[in-house]
Amino acid sequence: MAEALGPAVRAHNLRKVYRVAEKEPGFADTLRHFVRRRYREVEAVRGVSFVIEPGEIVGFLGANGAGKTTTLKMLTGLIYPSGGELEVLGHVPYRREAAFLRQITLVMGNKQQLIWDLPVLDSLRINAAVYEIDPAEARRRTRAFAELLEIEDILTQPVRKLSLGQRMKAELMASLFHLPRLLFLDEPTLGLDVNAQAAVRRFLRDYRERYGATILLTSHYMADIEALAERVLVIHRGALLYDGGLGGLVERFAPFKEVRLELAAPAEPAELAGFGEVAEASGRRVRLLVTKEGLTRTVAELLSRFEVRDLSVTEPPLEDVIARVFSEGRV
Amino acid sequence: MRWLVRKAWTLVAVYFAYMLEYRGEIFFWMLSGITPFFFMSAWTAAANQGLTGYDANDYARYFFAVFVARQLGIVWAHWNMSEDVRSGRFSFRLLQPLDPVWHYLADHVGERGVRLPMLAVVGLVFAWLYPEALVWPGAERAALGLVAVGLAFGVNFFASYVVGLLALWLEDATSIYNLWYVAMLFFSGMLAPLALYPDPVRQVLAWTPFPHLVYLPAAIWSGLEADATRGLLTLLAWNLFFFTLGRLLWHLGRRHYSAMGA
Ligand SMILES: Nc1ncnc2c1ncn2[C@@H]1O[C@H](COP(=O)(O)OP(=O)(O)OP(=O)(O)O)[C@@H](O)[C@H]1O
Ligand SMILES: [Mg+2]
Repeated sequence: MAEALGPAVRAHNLRKVYRVAEKEPGFADTLRHFVRRRYREVEAVRGVSFVIEPGEIVGFLGANGAGKTTTLKMLTGLIYPSGGELEVLGHVPYRREAAFLRQITLVMGNKQQLIWDLPVLDSLRINAAVYEIDPAEARRRTRAFAELLEIEDILTQPVRKLSLGQRMKAELMASLFHLPRLLFLDEPTLGLDVNAQAAVRRFLRDYRERYGATILLTSHYMADIEALAERVLVIHRGALLYDGGLGGLVERFAPFKEVRLELAAPAEPAELAGFGEVAEASGRRVRLLVTKEGLTRTVAELLSRFEVRDLSVTEPPLEDVIARVFSEGRV
Repeated sequence: MRWLVRKAWTLVAVYFAYMLEYRGEIFFWMLSGITPFFFMSAWTAAANQGLTGYDANDYARYFFAVFVARQLGIVWAHWNMSEDVRSGRFSFRLLQPLDPVWHYLADHVGERGVRLPMLAVVGLVFAWLYPEALVWPGAERAALGLVAVGLAFGVNFFASYVVGLLALWLEDATSIYNLWYVAMLFFSGMLAPLALYPDPVRQVLAWTPFPHLVYLPAAIWSGLEADATRGLLTLLAWNLFFFTLGRLLWHLGRRHYSAMGA
């Protein structure tokens, strides 16, 4: 795989406005809709700029409807940007040049490319031909991928008979069969159980180590992001809020620690409120969010005010931090 | 070149396997296409009473040829495309370095592989029922008829693909194709040999693709009057027309495509 010079992705002021036909329910409105359509503009992505260097793994975070999928669709050339500049591996994605398409892939956790009524192997045969992979090489790849994903024994079964987890692994196999060096993954672990999620993450890490691939990944499971991403982009209502390390996000957005207490006697939430934000107070077990500056003082006060059996101070769960980012829309 | 052949072969082979899964549906679909045989009985009855210029065997031969021509010309690219857009599969097609239309074409060619043997069985049954009606038209006419069928398939396919491309704008474009089907029904010779239509009507129709889609090959095969040169040239022109329109809509529609629901 030849290394292209320059960044893997360069997006500048990237925008996408969808035009959606409005339609009210009811017969009269259906008729009106038929005669004269009214359109509403949805600004899905509003001026997003970022650069991804070759070899990076970047997590793409945002609430439902924030514009993640729309951005990925522009980066992969599926849809036409409404504005801004975009260069991916030195190509303009929308042109769909073969040299570009051969180097990228897009995995969509809620969509499938495999042919429903045929065995996985048949879909792989098509991919092998389309991407001009030699039959011997294709067989070798099939074996290697199937082994890594532990799906050797299901490749000859019709796709419709596979479980969700098996199908997702097979989808991943088909999507990476041409050994792309730039991977766009849109919720690749959607709906999978914990084991399957871990297996997919392992596979992706392995793939990246082996082929030095660049990855941009969205997921609503923070475990995916924590396990894979070194850097995150946070998008909120179509605008980029944060671009940097995962630790930095926690630092900047959650300048607090979590204090867990086990008390000798139950305490009223009202009694605790003065010490910090009460995350949980069920009888004797208490979770408090305390600002970092006031931490030592607060802990000292807690110890003198209550009879404390156990106390620990930790980073708040990433899930909570992200939830705050999304609900407040700022970092 | 080597890869071109391999791509074509693989696509057709896999879609053939896919269509084999649906052989039952294809069989019933083919049975639903036997309407020409109903018109055949009506026209043969009329012929037996000396009401028309052809005799009963002429009609049997003609309508059998109509049936075959129609079966070889059946297309559903509009459905392929609408379904792909609706289900989101179209996005995966766009990700591959191959124009999606090749998938749809391979789908049709693979299906012919399943339909042809069934068609042969229907032919045997027909030959057994109407032994005098089936006459070998000679190699030259048989081949000419096949060329006409091939060009007719092209027109049908590209027209259907053009309708399918409208799915990039509309949510469902498949019903628009019904218009094409109605025109086929009345103007292609499926109801009656076009030689029986009034002259002015025939002159106008000759410029449209419809009479050449079914009547032309059927007439060539069954030995009815047909202007083959003009018919084939007209089909060629319509092929170019729908192909060009398709390329144009493809470029315009891609800009419009929003990859719904991901
Ligand atoms: N094809 C479309 N046509 C019109 N509007 C769309 C289309 N796709 C997305 N949108 C709108 O654009 C906005 C961004 O959607 P997008 O799918 O990019 O969000 P997302 O970040 O991927 O969300 P999720 O986490 O739910 O997948 C939403 O308001 C959505 O309703
Ligand atoms: Mg999404």
